Amino acid sequence: MSVATPSVLNVTELLSRVDNDRELVSELFFIFKSVFPSHLQRLSDAVLKQQPKQVEAESHTLKGMLLNLSAARAAAIASELENLGRENKITGMSEALTEFQSEVETLLLQMESVESHQ
Amino acid sequence: MKILIADDDPISRRLLEKTLQRAGYDVVAVQNGMAAAEQLCKQDGPRLALLDWEMPELDGPAVCREVRKKKDLGYVYMILLTSKGLKTDIVTGLGSGADDYLTKPFDSGELKARLRTGQRILHLEGRLVEARENMRFKATHDSLTSLFNRGVIVELLGREISRSRRERVPTAILLCDVDNFKPINDSHGHLVGDEVLQEAARRLLLSVRSYDYVGRYGGEEFLIILNNCDPASAPRRAEEIRRSLSDNPVQTSVGPLLVTMSMGVHQTANWGVRTVEELLHQVDSAMYAAKAAGRNRISFTKPENSPLADDVTTTEAEQSVR
Repeated sequence: MSVATPSVLNVTELLSRVDNDRELVSELFFIFKSVFPSHLQRLSDAVLKQQPKQVEAESHTLKGMLLNLSAARAAAIASELENLGRENKITGMSEALTEFQSEVETLLLQMESVESHQ
Repeated sequence: MKILIADDDPISRRLLEKTLQRAGYDVVAVQNGMAAAEQLCKQDGPRLALLDWEMPELDGPAVCREVRKKKDLGYVYMILLTSKGLKTDIVTGLGSGADDYLTKPFDSGELKARLRTGQRILHLEGRLVEARENMRFKATHDSLTSLFNRGVIVELLGREISRSRRERVPTAILLCDVDNFKPINDSHGHLVGDEVLQEAARRLLLSVRSYDYVGRYGGEEFLIILNNCDPASAPRRAEEIRRSLSDNPVQTSVGPLLVTMSMGVHQTANWGVRTVEELLHQVDSAMYAAKAAGRNRISFTKPENSPLADDVTTTEAEQSVR
């Protein structure tokens, strides 16, 4: 099991954003874990079907969530996917999606680690 | 203060909700632009809003445009939340009617500071509206009695006569004059005279329906317009109004005073081509007739008072009720 680096999830920044409310952090993680799979599914479908507008929209939504969670690296890849979608660039989308999925897996592990220490 | 959050991202919505509740706001949270516009366009809806740019059904800028279309609403201070950071996006957002924007992820300190700016603007707007309403009230109402002033009641009379003429519905004009007012002033002073006028105004207002009009026409004269006043009921209603003053003494700072009034009444649905001034002259003559007949009574306009007597002969006749 890989150990996530702090830059995957900036806990200090996140706690500062929620006024150190650890309960709220857990709640936000829970919300993310609940809604993330369906968004990822729609994004994957859009990449597979080569639908740049849908890729742009789903990536934008995911980027917003990840930024709020101080998950900068995953947010950056979502932003990259969003740009590819906006610019109708199919090339590179699959690679970016794979990178995104991998990054989010790391993020989810980091979230669990944070929660287990609360 | 009530604030609306509109965001389809549940994480952002919850984060905003919690941050703002902690800051003392009364939060209303919705998930899409249509629901946001509906909330903000309510008369008692939130006057402060945080709108996500990208939302289903109606995006943030479209919500701003919808709200700005409603001219009868109080000012709504709207902040767009966006992860868009391009200058063109910002220009588009502000051009749609937003007051400010914040980029995601927001900093809670900055968010609260910007909302305080919004509150200051809304507070200022509230004070301006209040000042305007005060000025409007002062310009249209008599300062002593708070009834419509002469200019307004005469204007309303003109409008009601036009309506009565157009719709062929009867309207009654009542000119009331407090009897022996000068002796009250001379004996007890002007402050007591003012108390009498204030109480007379209050009783007159209480004795009419919500859609009738009462105004201070002159010193101790009051003009009343009874809309849709059935010809058969006009004498009874005039009598009730007269008795609203005479039946119970007016409580003043020098003790109770018996106060009465004389009243001239003109009532018709057939106004002919007479001007408001001519009608007022007629009803004034009727009021003086009531005075001459002994005061504390009602006199209806005489047909012969009218330059176009055929307009009034069928419906009006002088009638002393007491």
